[in-house]
Amino acid sequence: MLDVVEALRREMEAERIATEDEVETFRIKYLGQKSGSITNLFKKIREVAPEDRRAFGQQLNALKQATEARLDESRDILRRAAAEAETQTIDLTLPGRRPLTGSVHPLTQTRDDIVRIFERYGFSVADGPEIEDDWHNFTALNFPPDHPARDMQDTLFVEASEGGEGGVLLRTHTSPVQIRVMKDQAPPIRVLAPGRVYRNETISYKSYCLFHQVEGLYVDEGVTFADLKYLLHAFAKAFFGEDVRMRFRPSFFPFTEPSAEVDIWWSDENLPGGGRWLEILGCGMVDPNVLKAVDIDPEKYTGYAFGMGVERPAMLRYGIDDIRVFYENDIRFLEQF
Amino acid sequence: MKISYNWLKDYVAHTLGPQELADKLTMAGLEEEEVIPIGNALDGVLVGHVLETAQHPNADRLTLCQVDLGDGEPVQIVCGAPNVAGGQKVPVATVGTTLMLPSRDNPAEKVAVKLKKAKLRGEVSNGMICAEDELGLSDDHAGIMVLHDDATVGQPFEDYLAALGIAAQDAAIDIAITPNRPDATSHIGVARDVAALENLPLQRPEVTVPEHGGAAAEQIAIEIEDPDGCPRYVGIIVRGVEIKESPAWLKQRLTAIGLRPRNNVVDVTNYVMYECGQPLHAFDFDQIAGAKIIVRASEGGEPFTTLDSKEHTLPEGTLLICDAERPVALAGVMGGENSEVTDATTNILIESAYFDPSTVRRAAKLLGISTDASYRFERGVDRVGQAWAAARAAALITELGGGEIVPGMVDAHPQTPESPTLELRSQRVAQVLGVVVADDEIDQILTALGFSAEHVADGSFRVGVPTWRPDVEREIDLVEEVARIYGYDRIPEPAHTALPNRTPQALPADQLRTQARALLSGLGYRETYTNSLLSKERAETFNQPALATVAGDVVETLNPITQEMTTLRPSLLPGVLSVMAHNQNHGQEVLRFYEFGHVFHRSTTHPGAVPGYAEQEAVLIALSGPTTTIGWDQTPRTSDIYDLKGVTEALLASLRLPPIAMQPVNEATSVSSYHLSLSAGEQPIGVIARLSDELMDAHDLRTPVFFAELNWSLLVDLSTALDAHTYAAVPRFPTVNRDVAVAVARQQAVGPLLDAIRTVGQPLLRDVNVFDLYEGDRIEADQKSVAFALTLGADRTLKDAEVDRQVNAIVKRLVDDFGAVLRQ
Repeated sequence: MLDVVEALRREMEAERIATEDEVETFRIKYLGQKSGSITNLFKKIREVAPEDRRAFGQQLNALKQATEARLDESRDILRRAAAEAETQTIDLTLPGRRPLTGSVHPLTQTRDDIVRIFERYGFSVADGPEIEDDWHNFTALNFPPDHPARDMQDTLFVEASEGGEGGVLLRTHTSPVQIRVMKDQAPPIRVLAPGRVYRNETISYKSYCLFHQVEGLYVDEGVTFADLKYLLHAFAKAFFGEDVRMRFRPSFFPFTEPSAEVDIWWSDENLPGGGRWLEILGCGMVDPNVLKAVDIDPEKYTGYAFGMGVERPAMLRYGIDDIRVFYENDIRFLEQF
Repeated sequence: MKISYNWLKDYVAHTLGPQELADKLTMAGLEEEEVIPIGNALDGVLVGHVLETAQHPNADRLTLCQVDLGDGEPVQIVCGAPNVAGGQKVPVATVGTTLMLPSRDNPAEKVAVKLKKAKLRGEVSNGMICAEDELGLSDDHAGIMVLHDDATVGQPFEDYLAALGIAAQDAAIDIAITPNRPDATSHIGVARDVAALENLPLQRPEVTVPEHGGAAAEQIAIEIEDPDGCPRYVGIIVRGVEIKESPAWLKQRLTAIGLRPRNNVVDVTNYVMYECGQPLHAFDFDQIAGAKIIVRASEGGEPFTTLDSKEHTLPEGTLLICDAERPVALAGVMGGENSEVTDATTNILIESAYFDPSTVRRAAKLLGISTDASYRFERGVDRVGQAWAAARAAALITELGGGEIVPGMVDAHPQTPESPTLELRSQRVAQVLGVVVADDEIDQILTALGFSAEHVADGSFRVGVPTWRPDVEREIDLVEEVARIYGYDRIPEPAHTALPNRTPQALPADQLRTQARALLSGLGYRETYTNSLLSKERAETFNQPALATVAGDVVETLNPITQEMTTLRPSLLPGVLSVMAHNQNHGQEVLRFYEFGHVFHRSTTHPGAVPGYAEQEAVLIALSGPTTTIGWDQTPRTSDIYDLKGVTEALLASLRLPPIAMQPVNEATSVSSYHLSLSAGEQPIGVIARLSDELMDAHDLRTPVFFAELNWSLLVDLSTALDAHTYAAVPRFPTVNRDVAVAVARQQAVGPLLDAIRTVGQPLLRDVNVFDLYEGDRIEADQKSVAFALTLGADRTLKDAEVDRQVNAIVKRLVDDFGAVLRQ
């Protein structure tokens, strides 16, 4: 019987295994569960004389191991050959299967950038309605009853106001959120109100009937105009770059006093003087009348407020010269952000 | 408002250049919008004497002039002007002079030209005899400028002009005046700021103001019937005036600030208004019936023709200036044609009044007229400046037009103004500004601005407010005055700033929105921003109650910009559909968008910030077209409702909401062909729908459109994504997968099968999915095969028997309840 094993070994070793099919044929021929030659010899182990059985078993086992090793080795060689072939032949220049990509609107990105900077200075986001009443939008913000902004020419009304009473309108700025927050919370108050605002304006390349603002408010004991300068300078450096040139110049808003407009220097070689001052935001110390309107003692507390557009800085940073493209949402525009 | 740089110097002797001055004003609150240079440097232009002229031999229109330039050697100059003649004194630009002349390519643009000795049609020309426009003095190019006979030959032309009060060069500084600065609407007002900034004295012209009464009071009577509308009315009469052109200096000043000179009287009234801010009106006194002025309110409906020849019907309450018979002027707005100064006028009544700001504002608005006068009255002129201005104008009129001022004046002032006195604490200045301004400096600033500052105690002032500052009513207004003159630049930024001892709370809606944007953008959707204003028709089309979470009418504005933008959007869908149409029309096939935005309804049942209106934040996801781009081994499939349903489910899952029911509605609405209605308990939260074919066609969209619109405000309230929660331990034991395929009736919806499996699958079922759906040849015609992939697991290693038991229970339920047949 040992001869038989030996013969089988020679036969096994002589087998040619060059393809996956031959690997399988080899496996079935020698190790197949039903009629593999080695499997069959194991079945005949009882027919061997008891004194030879041990030696036979050992030899047969050795053969089985050798066969399995041969099998593994063949598989290995084949796999390596296949891998090598793939390495050499795969066309790596075919385009990848790209999933569809989306985008976040540039106005969201700019708004978020603005908000993120102020959040580092302890501001948290608050919101308010776009349909607002006259009191929050004007009266509480110290607009006199016959202020031109209350005119139908500037403001979109939903319900007419009579002498500043009872009007409902589309908010013209995010400042009414200041009022809502101050009515709701006690100082210290440090909030940021981003949102959509409306103006009765004809749509053109430089104006749209609506736009977005970010409003900031800080009310506490000991808040000063110097603090306001510090904060807005820090903002301008973060948003426009460390070397930004900015200036605070006196201005007027009904709800702040003293008030300022903030300009940054915008370099432009084509302009005489090498650039121009561009207004980026309005700000000031919260007017005592506004604090009184929300029952905050203006002798004890002071505060500052600032408001800036989102479209304007977005247009500046991306070099956009027509505000309408933001609202057209052409994919060829959106995919650039 | 434009300020003339030269004119301003009459009142303050500063040494700043035009741009420097503009910058200073900007930093004091008078923002420069533009500095417009006027005129040219005229070095090299001399007074010449035309000795004799001769016709150019080779050109009909040219004249050869022998001109004496004062050096005894006459030179020849070729001149093309029709009015040149021997004996004239003329301005001559000598060879080497640079003038600003119209460009050859574009006559509207002026370019610097250096004059050379030239030959014109064969004749030598040693310079140029100039017209006014070539010297930058006016736009006049009718002929050369002819100078006074007594002009000194050879004198620099600039000196000749200076002697006439004319400057060769000026600059107009256009400044923006904020509503709180009525005092700055004049040269003296601006000069006062310059004086305060530069620490220089303000110089006002010397004017002798007459007393009330005298001959004037006998010649004109003034009655004020409406003392609230007109608390003061001053009249001065000038007789025997010759109406003529104004002198060059006056015309030049008015031209510099953008006014058109008319005649000496009208020009003087404008000049004085721009000098001191008090609007004046000059009547032809002979046209004032009954030598009487009555100031009264209109009863309404009266016809009136203003001096610009426009006819108006007067609204009730319009304040009028009337003579004994009829209205002669709209108070504070514009005079009437019936009494205006004409070339035939000899006697003049100068009106200088204080009109109530809101009265003038109302009249100007109702009549649709805005004038330099109404602009100033609306903001509030100097409460006591009337007599000075009238006297100043009367003096100038006699200076320029001869005649005599009738002695005295009429000064009707039924109301005497009160000058407020305010307290200013220097500690308050520091509290607001964050910088200590010394008492001396506060005192100096306020005094320079015309306030009377009495230092009543250390750190405390009693401040008298000047009559030209009606805007200053409170201590904080004084703080602002101090700040703007002290200079915002000088307020130092602190090196450190304090933060409140409280961590800012992020707004949940904001935080979740950021998270949702990242998810949707990552899934291939693009964020849009669309207009909140729609046409009413469009808004109503998309206000479909079956698809909305808030029921109510649309919200319209009273004063829409256009008919296309009358109504607030009740849904984000119309805006996004327009975006889809736009992009499809521009060659895009893959249309996947989302938008966050407010939607609006009239509602009394949804209490919002403003009663009567329901305003919610919504999120819309919309898709249409292929699911992928074309690839070398993939064929894109057209998107369907399941693509959108999956994305919506992913979004909802990210919010960690309580169970959301999705109720199928196999019925069409005006907007949708079918939809799923989403709710949390009883609360509807939105829909997932297919757009109706009608609306698809209406937008020319070529592939089916699917949209999900959800009430973001509600989702934020329901979300637990931001709440603290403890984690569930990851199972340590392996799960077992089993597949079950059943045949059911074709019309049987799969959802209820899944629900049943989830119920009966407990406690071992961990997950179930549909992995195959088959209808066709291999199954009976009225049947379909549904294959479920079940995942089972427990906190231990499962035995085959218990898995079998659970799966059998599931199959039994499907068989019993749905008539399912197990497929092997």
